[in-house]
Amino acid sequence: MNLKDLLSPFFVWQRAFEKPYTTMRPIQDRPGAAAYRGFHINIAETCIGCGSCHTICQNEAIDMVAVEEFAGRPGDSGLRPRFDYGRCCWCALCVDICTASSLRMSNEYTWLTRDPTDYHFTAGVDETSWQENELGYRRAEGYRLFPEKRVEMEMLPADESVNSFEEVVKGYSEEQAKKEADRCVECGICVATCPAHMDVPDYIHSIRDGDYEKGLQLMYRTNPFPATCGRICTRRCETVCPVGIDGEPVAIRWLKRFIVDQFEAKDYQRILDETITDNGKKVAIIGAGPGGMSAAYYLRKKGYAVTVYESQQTAGGMLRYGVPSYRLPDDDLDKDIDYIVSLGVEVKYNTRIGEDIKFEQLLKDYDSVFMSTGLSVPSNMRIHGEDHPRVLSGLQVLADVANGRDPGIGKKVAVIGGGNVAMDAARVSRRYGAEVTILYRRRISEMPADEEEIHESQEEGCIIVQKAIPVELVNAESQQQVSIRWGEAEMVDDPKGGRPRPVLQEDRMHTETYDSIISAIGQGSNLDYISKEMHEQLEIEWGKFTPGEYQHTMLEKIFVGGDFANRTADAISAIEDGHHAARGIDRYLNPAAYIETEQQVD
Amino acid sequence: MNTVDEILDFAIDQEQQAADFYEDVAQRAETAGMKKILLDFSEEEKSHKRILQDVKAGEHELTPEQEVLDLKISDYLVEVEISDNITYQDALIIAMKRERAAYELYSDMAAKVPASHLKEVLEGLAIEEAKHKLFFEAEYDERVLMDN
Repeated sequence: MNLKDLLSPFFVWQRAFEKPYTTMRPIQDRPGAAAYRGFHINIAETCIGCGSCHTICQNEAIDMVAVEEFAGRPGDSGLRPRFDYGRCCWCALCVDICTASSLRMSNEYTWLTRDPTDYHFTAGVDETSWQENELGYRRAEGYRLFPEKRVEMEMLPADESVNSFEEVVKGYSEEQAKKEADRCVECGICVATCPAHMDVPDYIHSIRDGDYEKGLQLMYRTNPFPATCGRICTRRCETVCPVGIDGEPVAIRWLKRFIVDQFEAKDYQRILDETITDNGKKVAIIGAGPGGMSAAYYLRKKGYAVTVYESQQTAGGMLRYGVPSYRLPDDDLDKDIDYIVSLGVEVKYNTRIGEDIKFEQLLKDYDSVFMSTGLSVPSNMRIHGEDHPRVLSGLQVLADVANGRDPGIGKKVAVIGGGNVAMDAARVSRRYGAEVTILYRRRISEMPADEEEIHESQEEGCIIVQKAIPVELVNAESQQQVSIRWGEAEMVDDPKGGRPRPVLQEDRMHTETYDSIISAIGQGSNLDYISKEMHEQLEIEWGKFTPGEYQHTMLEKIFVGGDFANRTADAISAIEDGHHAARGIDRYLNPAAYIETEQQVD
Repeated sequence: MNTVDEILDFAIDQEQQAADFYEDVAQRAETAGMKKILLDFSEEEKSHKRILQDVKAGEHELTPEQEVLDLKISDYLVEVEISDNITYQDALIIAMKRERAAYELYSDMAAKVPASHLKEVLEGLAIEEAKHKLFFEAEYDERVLMDN
């Protein structure tokens, strides 16, 4: 050791009194770049909790957690993404996939805290200093990880469709279906919205996998009318599809149809492979529409001997007699119905309860009765001249066409109404060569008919006159014609906050003469087969049943479902009512099984 | 009927008659659902009666200057006969037409009276009836004209 080494520690001391080179805060505030991928921002109000961010995250850094303030919002899972910054690598895939465009990143990148659990946080819900940050990574305009447009469906051109009852929608090819299935982010928000809670993500997944048999099996778990619903479902699922927020929703209905179209009716027994063990109990069902036949299917699967009483000569109810074959071909409806019947469901056709068999007799002969007779009575307009022979009901016109009878509408027709029956009556009239004018009290945007139906009716040449209120029907010069007097309406805001109401403008009246006026303003139920005494005991309000849990009425043996027992009056709701009632009837007739199950759950 | 009190007594009596009318139809109705609806109508008329009693007692004021929306639905509907199997549509038509008749009665009476407190009361009563008519017409628009 030399002397220098020996003295050097003492020389260091002379530095102790100099100004230090280091600073108290080694890291200066230096903002991240404008598009820096820093801490996450979520606009929690816009987010719908689809969980695409969670699914795509390769580091499993995102969990979806329940946030109370968003629970129960329609089209919203009530969940929000919770980030784990011990795992996140700031790749921004979560931002790129975000269907609601609610997720983004700030340019903030420093976060000091003594509590490591702070680095688990729910963006947009837990308070953070960067939530309002204007800078940071955003998905580029127009950049999406999935196509915004759905695969276009081939349709029969309007100039051809108007001349035939051939199905208008052609259906997807396998290549098209797989491409469309790839747009699904499998969030499952549609499952909650579908009245039947169909397992949409999984059956769409089966298309990606090419395992169509599995797809069919999945659909039958909750819906024994997939061929029908694949064509005419009101598809509330698509209204909440997150892919539809910034683009077009996944074509769920057409994908359902694609799966069903892969099979012949004869394949169903093998694919669904349902073993039924009779349980010795009998259930009667009134009405072979979607509600009645759905109940029949699920009851039969549980081993009940099921007899369906149907007043018409074929099953299907409004699907058969109210939906024309260019939207739902008979063969496809038969595919659904024939399979249900093939399980041993007995259908007694041309049998009207109350006339051919008393309702009370059914109650005596069966362990339970499910009523699903729908809304079969057309509502009257109750304006002067309505009893004119050239005034027809939309339902009757559609039933005539379904039965192969000429509805005798003439060559110039006016249809009153804006629902699906009105649209179908109009389109059927076009197919019989008539010029068709649809008179509707409100605006097109307020029509209860399916948007596609409205569009297709216009494509086929139906003229829609909006804000037209019929006030009177009068004799025309020819007995083969009828004149209608109608007035223009102004839409006025409802002071109580309801939808705008049409107000007749009596100084703007018009009179026009037609060969037929087809009235399609709504339908009511026909409950003549129920005795007065029973009416007293059944909960019926505004002509509709208000059943309790599992579609059970106040009378212990009787369950109800379908259009006359729900608010939506569409096929998918009726199908769910039937399924739900089947569960209810089984609980009622076989309570021990449920007590045991519930005890096991406890 | 020349005084305000006489007019109000008449109006109160009319509301009671309307309440009795709906109760009577409810007794005849075959279905429990319709019975309930008609009894609800009767209660609605009784609430109108109470408002008028409050007006007479000086606890409530009529507002003749108020504009009430007229949907004109009842004006063009045919008269309905009361039957045992009355439907909801029928019941609403009857109710709308009764309220319309009452509105026209008070409006006509007000038109024949020179400007005075009595005229104001008659106009106020007409407005009340127009409100009742709007209530039933809005109900008809919502529940009967669903697809139209």
